[in-house]
Amino acid sequence: MKLEWTKAPMGRRNFLKTATALGASAALPMGFAGQAMASEGSTLRVRSYGDMSTMDPAHSNGVFDEEIHASVYNKLIQYKPGSEWGWQLDAASMIEQADPTHINFALRDDIGFTNGHGAMTAEDVKFSFERIIADETESPNKPDMGSFSHVEVTGEREGTIVLNEPFAPLWSIALPYITGNIVSKAATEAAGGRIGTDPVAESGPYLRASWSPKEKTVLTRNPDWKGDAPAWDNIEILPIDDENTAEIAFEAGELDFTRVSLGSVERYRAGVPNGGTLLENPSLFYVWLGMNLDHPKLQNPLLRQAIQHAIDVPSILEAAYFGAVEPSTGIIAPGLAGHREAGKVAPAADFARAAELLAESGETNVTLTLDVLNKTTFTTTAQIIQATLAGIGITVEINVLESGAFWDSGNNENLQLVLNRFSMTPDPTYATAWFTTEQAGIWNWENFRNAEFDQLHADAARETDLAKRAEMYIRAQDLMEESGAYRFITHEATPVVHSSGIIPALRPDGLTLLRYFGKS
Amino acid sequence: MFIYTVKRFALAGLILIVAVTAMFLMIRAVPGDPVSIMLGPRATPELKASLIAQMALDQPIWKQLLIYYGGLLRGDLGIDVFSGRSVVEIVFQQLPYTLEMITLSVVWSATLGIALGAYAAANPNTMIDRIAAAVSVSFVAAPAFVVALLALLIFAVQLQWFPAIGAGEGFWGRLNHLVLPSFAIGLSWVGYIARLVRASMLEVLGEGHIRTARAFGISERRIIMSYALRIAILPVFTVIGVGMGFLLSSAVFTEIVFARPGIGKLVIDSITTRNYPVVMGTVLVSTGLFVLSTAIADLLNALLDPRARSAK
Repeated sequence: MKLEWTKAPMGRRNFLKTATALGASAALPMGFAGQAMASEGSTLRVRSYGDMSTMDPAHSNGVFDEEIHASVYNKLIQYKPGSEWGWQLDAASMIEQADPTHINFALRDDIGFTNGHGAMTAEDVKFSFERIIADETESPNKPDMGSFSHVEVTGEREGTIVLNEPFAPLWSIALPYITGNIVSKAATEAAGGRIGTDPVAESGPYLRASWSPKEKTVLTRNPDWKGDAPAWDNIEILPIDDENTAEIAFEAGELDFTRVSLGSVERYRAGVPNGGTLLENPSLFYVWLGMNLDHPKLQNPLLRQAIQHAIDVPSILEAAYFGAVEPSTGIIAPGLAGHREAGKVAPAADFARAAELLAESGETNVTLTLDVLNKTTFTTTAQIIQATLAGIGITVEINVLESGAFWDSGNNENLQLVLNRFSMTPDPTYATAWFTTEQAGIWNWENFRNAEFDQLHADAARETDLAKRAEMYIRAQDLMEESGAYRFITHEATPVVHSSGIIPALRPDGLTLLRYFGKS
Repeated sequence: MFIYTVKRFALAGLILIVAVTAMFLMIRAVPGDPVSIMLGPRATPELKASLIAQMALDQPIWKQLLIYYGGLLRGDLGIDVFSGRSVVEIVFQQLPYTLEMITLSVVWSATLGIALGAYAAANPNTMIDRIAAAVSVSFVAAPAFVVALLALLIFAVQLQWFPAIGAGEGFWGRLNHLVLPSFAIGLSWVGYIARLVRASMLEVLGEGHIRTARAFGISERRIIMSYALRIAILPVFTVIGVGMGFLLSSAVFTEIVFARPGIGKLVIDSITTRNYPVVMGTVLVSTGLFVLSTAIADLLNALLDPRARSAK
């Protein structure tokens, strides 16, 4: 008798699954079934690339902490989900710029802290913001507060944020991001002034129910939340640093949302398993080839320009980024003030021009080292740069470094060429901050020193007119490129996949705003 | 036996001191400013100075080592600079995940490996023996990371029999999450142990006391189970003891591939971030485990085989 597995009423796979489940349920005592039954309500399972490290916004280590903080705390304003950068009211019922250095706000009257710490007041806002800039807090996030001075409390729920000088990123970084989280003054003081890995009082639509280090963080609906009810009863955040593992977990149905690798984008374009959807979001990251202006081998500006023209960005994007990203024109991504529509050096290489510049420079037998991080994307990029520069007679030796050693390159006096990638927050000042003279040898590894650039960086942070601000940042990037120390490559991308049951709420750069995730 | 035990544990302590000191010096020799890496780009000079003082990085290496051993004697492995949590708490929170994975790997691979080896030895040069040999060698040759990925794709993604990631909750949940990782780690051990037991068993089966047993008409089954196997599995203890180091290193990639918590994942994360206290705590515990398991294997060997004691 021939068995027709594919025509069986119950497929082979389902049969095996059912048989296994039946066998297991017969063999297992109540513990297993009881556990399944205990998992009540809807659960959203999302991947984070790192594990939570603290519940204290003052000591937040970045995105993976903020994903949780933004769900269990409130800010005066939060980022708005969508494809354009913007903010919406959160704990504030009103917020307005009274003058360039004063911002008045009023809090909603329905937000309270857990553990009996009462309603959120303007004193909590004052405490939360001022502790970030206090020296004794030792907050690494202090620079995000810029020229913030203090908060004047004018009523139980009213106050005024006072700045030492105008600070445009207040609206794009300080208030809606890490430093904007409002903690309970009473609870934090009772905890000795520092919050550890357990929350002392929460106020957001979710509460942190549990944290299993390196495994998962579970958020559960806050029963006392009076605002718009979140769609999901529980959110499980799973720290998975390897994107391939996250993709496997998604395909196995164990994740509802994850960022995927650029190499998988083509595959997911053809179809996402389990009826899921691929979303290709832009990113704020910026990748570039830097040239150390202090190194004796790179003193000749014509040589640097020759290198700029000889690097073929489209080839890099095709080989190292699988054609899933666009070339960049500078350090400020599309969608932010100051993004350049085009750079001074076109993305495609101009080998004839590069050879001409090299000949003009009078440099011969040029051999340079190129330092890169030990990630496949960067080593592939480095190999393409090596090959294209060889085309005009420049020899490149690739120096692959482990992350710790690579990120210490500011102390490397022998640094020549470096392939670099910086993260970014949604304000252009965060990009230019690393290339000022003050940062030379710290994070400005090119040792680019330009007085006009420094002035533009300082002035633009104070400028509240968006158009003028944009012009300043465009000029600043022109100066960087004209120095010959930079060859801009890409802003990368943030491709994500989600299962059919959810409506993701994302920032324009593809990062999650978990409290706004919906159900389809 | 008592003197042997004391000597063995004294040696274990010495190995531990050497390993921890070597690791302490090696991690500090790795290029990269730990404070800048830990605090990130936005750290102020004051904050950096504070952390340097907190971690005693402004002290000479020998003094840092003395401070470390001073803390160790008090049972204090330091504080994680990121979370402010005690390193002891962090390491011992992660340790059970790794231990349960390794234990299950050893248990299933040793059980199957011993059975396979014993069966092959009892039926030498038969088709079954040849098949067992081919299977064993294939298992030994299969790289664990390839097995892990294939197991994930087949059993988690395609068949969806077992979970792909995480450690699970509750006894059965955790056991369910252990199946694929322990399968990936243990598979090569099945082959290795099977070959070892077969060779050892064939040697034992040729010895005089086995011939005597046969002459007395004792059944072949009883000879194998009660006399031959008992002696033949002795080398397996030693191999498993020494193999703990291999299993601990396998745990690193397995925990990454299966996104499981554990010591391996912890050590990778902490080395990358130059989190010295956590690196040292993890190394101390994993080295301790290795040294302890080899010591226990030696002691078991000595207990079961008096010749091992007198040879020392």
